[in-house]
Amino acid sequence: MRGLPAALLVAAGALLLGYGHLMNSYWMHIVIIAMFYAILTASWSMLAGYAGLFSLGHIAFASVGGYTSALLVQWSGIPVPAGMAVGAIVCCLLGGWIGLVCLRLSGPYLAIFTLAFSEIVRITVSTEDQVTRGMTGLHTVPLFQTSSRLPYFYMAFGLLVGSLALMGFLVHSRWGLFLRAIREDEQAAAASGVAVARFRILVFAIASGFAGLAGSFFAHYTPVLTPDIGDLDRMALIVVMTVIGGMERIPTAVGGAIGVEFLQEYLRAFGIWRLEIFGIVLLVTMRFARNGLLTPLWQQFMRLGEARHAKASATLADRPGTANAANGSGG
Amino acid sequence: MTGVAPPGANGTLIAGAALSKHFGGIAAVDGVDFSVAAGDLIGLIGPNGSGKTTLINVLTGHLSPEAGEVVVRGRRMTGRPAHELAALGIARTFQLTQLFGRMTVLENLLVPGLTRPHSTRQSAARQARTYLTFLNLGHLEGLEAKNLSGGQQKLLELGRALMLEPSVLFLDEPFAGVHPRLRDELIKRIQELHAAGRTFVVVDHDMESILRIARRLVVMARGRKIADGPPAAVRTDQTVLAAYSGL
Repeated sequence: MRGLPAALLVAAGALLLGYGHLMNSYWMHIVIIAMFYAILTASWSMLAGYAGLFSLGHIAFASVGGYTSALLVQWSGIPVPAGMAVGAIVCCLLGGWIGLVCLRLSGPYLAIFTLAFSEIVRITVSTEDQVTRGMTGLHTVPLFQTSSRLPYFYMAFGLLVGSLALMGFLVHSRWGLFLRAIREDEQAAAASGVAVARFRILVFAIASGFAGLAGSFFAHYTPVLTPDIGDLDRMALIVVMTVIGGMERIPTAVGGAIGVEFLQEYLRAFGIWRLEIFGIVLLVTMRFARNGLLTPLWQQFMRLGEARHAKASATLADRPGTANAANGSGG
Repeated sequence: MTGVAPPGANGTLIAGAALSKHFGGIAAVDGVDFSVAAGDLIGLIGPNGSGKTTLINVLTGHLSPEAGEVVVRGRRMTGRPAHELAALGIARTFQLTQLFGRMTVLENLLVPGLTRPHSTRQSAARQARTYLTFLNLGHLEGLEAKNLSGGQQKLLELGRALMLEPSVLFLDEPFAGVHPRLRDELIKRIQELHAAGRTFVVVDHDMESILRIARRLVVMARGRKIADGPPAAVRTDQTVLAAYSGL
């Protein structure tokens, strides 16, 4: 990332951290939930946007991660962060297994397969009353022994920044290039030397691990964990957030999560009609901005430094006697 | 543009022995023996449906044969996935061009470049730019591959295969649908690469183009190899003439 956009993002993050405590409890909750969704949309973007694997089972991993961590902490008494780590690792392994099982599936077949997996998880969690407390909900051990939401806000922020840094590193490495090649044409990627099967399994495992991490955080943030965490409506919301933001870039997917979560709150006055509004926004996005509403904005944002640099070069070149020097330095 | 892998003990880079592949009861490839030696420039020809592309798919790991063996420089590679054969220097292009459409021209070449051991982004980009210049695509490196013309896409696909520094290049119908001017350029590039030590197997229906470049012709019909030899001899072969005239 170039200097100016990176500096602006760091400044925005610092502002949020520095002034976060000024938010009232209600809006702090919204920000925390937005960050929970941001991890889910970013990891789903890695799966669907980068690798082209349109999985509808992503939310199931949040559920598995959440219940794994909550139950483990309850049964064994291990510290909550350790439970969260185990939740993420279990999801990583389960995600890798799902990736292996549906290695030959793509498009609608993969979507249906993962949808079925998601429903199996949800129904199992709902019906296994004696273990998960079913629809009554599981009382979870809180991450922090305080009634304030501020520590959760910092924790969610840390998890989001850490997750984005890791995912950003992955998609900008050669692995990211291979994933995009797989999305474009699996056969051509294999002919180019890309181990398609290995990378498909790997991206399923990594994305599911992040979903599990988000879910395990949610489990210890909310006092009562219910099977609703793995609800299909929530998966639909992740898809809507990612698609509206832009699914082929992690920052736009994150922007979509934050934007939609905040809009949902602002539009509460419209009652059920706000969902109609989101439907219309989705239709407009798919018709006129298939790469997402935020993608052009993000591209402009990323060019901020370039524009300034070009302007400086042009000004330098316009000065008599400096044109050659400017050309030379511009390479 | 060096780095061609050394051949096996007897000079054979890749060999298929008694290869068979059926689709729904139809023998697409039926007991075919096919070997490529270092420095070969083989024209693989035959009527539509004769099994040429299936043979390439089997040899490059995109299909598993039901019978027979694929050996690459002495290593048995039957049924191994395509990326493993690519790592051993077996590269290919496709009958219908298969590029990474929404990736840039440069990124299309970086993908195979970065699969090579010890490669870095800088070294792969340097090598990619060399090939792009060689293929007259240097000025298009930032363009998405889907926006190239048909002929340019064929050239880019050739460039992508070259990025593997292959020991054998299988080109599946490289001249199909290409403007004559670009076709001549493609032929020139293939000849230059062959002169520099590359080994090619070229499949095409364009007999004129094939005969301009091939040093050896292999003819297939109904899944079987019916002729294999110097172009002058194969052109007068009665079995070949019969296959082409449908007799």
